[in-house]
Amino acid sequence: MTQTQAQTRTQPRPLDGCRIVDFTWVRAGPWATRWLGALGAQVIKIEWPLREFGRAGGAAGAPPGITPTLNTGGNFNDTNANKMSLSLNVRSPRGMEIIRRLISVSDAVVENYSASVLENWGLGYEELKKLREDIVYVSMSGFGHSGRHKHYTTFGPSAQALSGMTFASGLPGKPPAGWGWSYLDDSGGMYIAFYTLAALFHRQTTGRGQHVDMGQMIMGATLNGSALLDVTINGRSSTREGYPPGNRAHWPGAPLASGYRGRTVAPHNSYRTLGGGYNDWCTIACFSDEEWRNLVCLMGSPDWATDPSLATLQGRLENQEAMDERIEAWTLTLEKYDLMHKCQAAGVRAMPVQSNEDRAEHDPQLRERGLLREVEHPELGTWRMQNAPFVLSESPAVNHRHAPLIGQDNEEIITGILGMSREELVSGYSDGTFWPDSLDLYPYQKELLQ
Amino acid sequence: MTTQNSAGGPFSGVRVLEVADEKGQWCGKLLADLGADVIKIEPPGGESTRTVGPFYQDSFGPERSLSFWHYNTSKRGVTLDLASEDGRGLFRKLAAGADVVVETLAPGCMASLGLGYDDLKALNPRIIVCSITPFGQTGPWRDYLTSDLLHLSVGGQMGSCGYDDVPDAPPIAPGGGQAWHMGGHYACMAITAALIHRGNTGAGQYVDVSVHESCALTTEGAMASWIYNGKTMIRQTGRHAGVAPTAPTQTLCKDGKYVNIQLLAFRLSPAQVRQLGEWMDRYGMAGDLLDDKYQDTAVIQEQADHISEAVRSFINNMTRDEVYEGAQEMGFSWGAVRAHDELPDDGQLNDRGFWVQVEHPDLGETFTYPGPAAIWSDSPWGISRRAPRIGEHNEEILCGELGLSRAELSVLAESGVV
Repeated sequence: MTQTQAQTRTQPRPLDGCRIVDFTWVRAGPWATRWLGALGAQVIKIEWPLREFGRAGGAAGAPPGITPTLNTGGNFNDTNANKMSLSLNVRSPRGMEIIRRLISVSDAVVENYSASVLENWGLGYEELKKLREDIVYVSMSGFGHSGRHKHYTTFGPSAQALSGMTFASGLPGKPPAGWGWSYLDDSGGMYIAFYTLAALFHRQTTGRGQHVDMGQMIMGATLNGSALLDVTINGRSSTREGYPPGNRAHWPGAPLASGYRGRTVAPHNSYRTLGGGYNDWCTIACFSDEEWRNLVCLMGSPDWATDPSLATLQGRLENQEAMDERIEAWTLTLEKYDLMHKCQAAGVRAMPVQSNEDRAEHDPQLRERGLLREVEHPELGTWRMQNAPFVLSESPAVNHRHAPLIGQDNEEIITGILGMSREELVSGYSDGTFWPDSLDLYPYQKELLQ
Repeated sequence: MTTQNSAGGPFSGVRVLEVADEKGQWCGKLLADLGADVIKIEPPGGESTRTVGPFYQDSFGPERSLSFWHYNTSKRGVTLDLASEDGRGLFRKLAAGADVVVETLAPGCMASLGLGYDDLKALNPRIIVCSITPFGQTGPWRDYLTSDLLHLSVGGQMGSCGYDDVPDAPPIAPGGGQAWHMGGHYACMAITAALIHRGNTGAGQYVDVSVHESCALTTEGAMASWIYNGKTMIRQTGRHAGVAPTAPTQTLCKDGKYVNIQLLAFRLSPAQVRQLGEWMDRYGMAGDLLDDKYQDTAVIQEQADHISEAVRSFINNMTRDEVYEGAQEMGFSWGAVRAHDELPDDGQLNDRGFWVQVEHPDLGETFTYPGPAAIWSDSPWGISRRAPRIGEHNEEILCGELGLSRAELSVLAESGVV
């Protein structure tokens, strides 16, 4: 059974005792460090309210009835769980001195700025090493820190375009459908988290730190599956008739070639279901003649389906248009979850298309596994937060804290971790080190200064 | 192009046993190319993923699957029939000396073979066992059958991907086997965390990874849009799904290719409008963008649609790469929509040593493989060998390490154990 939050909080976590200086922003980097925080690292997010892109607004900004501020973004709360916040102007001499002190007592520095930013701040890897010789430094810029285009920049969609991933999504003969979100921010975040862990593991076994220099576009190029070997070894272009084949494994009428999703089979498609709503679709795939016969039987063995022309894979691939139309006439008579259960019970692979609402409200599997669990936030109240998709039996990943209010942890970091005096803390608020003059202080900051 | 060596990768000295189909082979490759000694345990005759295309020179064969080649670099291969007691005995011996087991059999299957986490832990208390399955080891859907397409459907990817300008278009599942990538990335995170935990405490553990949950976590802000704002997503051609419609970003160039632009004209600064105008003027297509009136933010906001239209029409009359490179040189994060076959010519990938040469001695050929996402300064990534042939390392591992004689190995082969 899935462990409860109360049980897991008492267990040790893999990164207990590990401190990470977190310069990440927007999505990819913050998504990475929130998992490192869940695994026990003390993640210190370095922020400056005048150059803040993640905390404000957007579709998943403040929920209805709550005033939008830097502290009330819903998506920010989920993306930045498990971290502390230090509001700090690193472009001021005092701010830079503080960050250098902090790095000298930290294990890792993680960032996803453009390639030259940390270097220009005087915090390139060679400098970081002087502050702490075995520091782990993980960066993800658009194109990496070397090469002719290192000064080029990306965000998710442009990295997806450049890496071949956008092209590989869509219907043949139409413009690419591409990706409906920044997949390379999500998977870039996964890579940053995995690589930070791997570099920390390397340090655990050898005592040595290093710089792991990643590029988002380059990382995307690794996710093309077998398509790149079909180019470099077989010389096959993906600019060809019938590619990409939509949701099918192969587009009927086009020359047979792999669609780079797995086996070339039919049926292999999405079909409308009862209700006719925007997300009333179900996907069905038959990976063998037996699975097809199971589907035929489930549909009540209509004449069109028992026709010998569909008994073979070759026949089904050739006759996909007519076959898919008939299958859809049947799927339209069933609600999508009902269809899934009936198919699965009959030995047919089927899954509904799920919206965000469906995953949050209608998916009993995610509910049972506890993917969404409540965490309290001081200004937003209690909300469901996304949990790890894995259970570690001895050292679980746990969301233990809401996203920090901006600068919420300045006192603990400055006077606690760095051992500076209260006077130094207070003066930093009047000289522009911890907060800009141009912005009002939030109540919790005023309280701190009293 | 460079040939890299993974001898010094961060997982050097870590031995992984992989009993995995498409659900776990990516995880195994990521670990192997970073230095882990991954031994792929296949059923006699080979793992099912050997029969997935495309195939070398388009001709079928279990040693010719480019998909298998891609996903199994840097691993060694041993065949064992885990349904036989002899096979299980050899697996136990290997597990006694391993650090990690990655397995993708149906929930409960390893335990029913007497090879579950508790069985292996009794032999090797430090072992980390990671199961990667469609839905995890528990829950009402745990035994349901899936595929990459089905995961992208139920995981939410298709809910966000598709067309807003193609009548009757279905939700679209992007290609490349991404469901297995998503599961593999989280599995690698969890396994590495477990290795660090073991380094701290000496204790192994069991890791239960769900591909469905991994996919469900990989739709950026879509979950938060529902949870905090009660909004569902509208699928839009070539760009982010939105809770409300947004302006197109994928723009057709005169060579028939597309460029992905991020042009929020109302947010442009006067300096940026001037920059765009000067760029367009070099091709005689500036329109009125160099007019001084655009040096006023209020005018830019008011004329945002007009500015967008002028830039789009300019793009329509340029080649894709002129637009991509010109925009990047000015600091705009635009991207060329490229087909796979364009990547080998990319200068940046080549400057970074992305492509690596991998020898296939049995074919007398050396092929170009895609390389690493990152450059590691102290523990380099590298492909140490091409994917193993069926049972290629049986003798090396079963005789060389477990001490079977060649006669014993032959007897086991005779009865289908290896």
